[in-house]
Amino acid sequence: MSVTQGERTLKLSRHEAAVEDARRFAELAVSYCTPECREAVTLAVCELGENLIKYSAGGDEANAGTIGVSVENDKVRVRAVNRVTSREDADRVSEIVRKMTVSDIKELYRERLQELFANPSLPRAQLGLLRMAFEGGFRLTCVFEAPQLQIIAERACTGA
Amino acid sequence: MGIKLGEKVTVETLTVELSTATELTLSGTLSTPTAQNEFRRLLQDLHAQIVAARTASFAVNVEALSFVNSSAIRAFVDWISRAAHAGYTLAFKTSPSVTWHRLSFSVLKSLAPGTVQIVEATAGAGGGASP
Repeated sequence: MSVTQGERTLKLSRHEAAVEDARRFAELAVSYCTPECREAVTLAVCELGENLIKYSAGGDEANAGTIGVSVENDKVRVRAVNRVTSREDADRVSEIVRKMTVSDIKELYRERLQELFANPSLPRAQLGLLRMAFEGGFRLTCVFEAPQLQIIAERACTGA
Repeated sequence: MGIKLGEKVTVETLTVELSTATELTLSGTLSTPTAQNEFRRLLQDLHAQIVAARTASFAVNVEALSFVNSSAIRAFVDWISRAAHAGYTLAFKTSPSVTWHRLSFSVLKSLAPGTVQIVEATAGAGGGASP
């Protein structure tokens, strides 16, 4: 998998406090950007980081995966890379991302909240990627090259 | 863990205060599993207190709650669901300068329009710091 030039990268440990490390990493990585951009990147890094800690494969490894942040030509990119447990996990994420590219994102978000409202026992919230697109204004793509899954989130970052 | 009137509970970077008998104030950020679990437990206990006191309307001031992860959004969904079933209303006091307030609370309201009210603070009035 390629590494973007100028990308700041965090290796995320599996410790639960790692999400807070990720939040601080995000704040530093885009500290010179607009408040709106900083808010969006913090959201994306935290949501992707939490997913990495919860779902990435290789529980015996020290790191759950990596998160990279880069800003170039008025565009900010957040990139999460991790090993997945199975092809099915990767397919599930790919399907969510595909659906997000062809649907009204606010409606998808509302539908998911409605599902959680009607079924409080659902085991997974599955709101992270939706929030990144809806609240953060990110466009998401994903690439699976077994066993690694890469999720890329991009949005405009003017005024950096 | 119940919360007493005037008591301020701090869980990592999250601060929770029952400012009046009918208003909860949340501030800071919520991102770690420990804070999520404590937050969910606290809201469940608070719901029980509200039902026991037969409170008709309860306010939640989130103006200074600058960042939350998805688990907190889900905790709000669950609380709204419990409030709708119990028959009390939740009035969320939000800040227009915080993106997640502006976008997510309008969607949360659509889940139960008769249960949720959104009271948006005037721009620049307290809270709403960037994460």
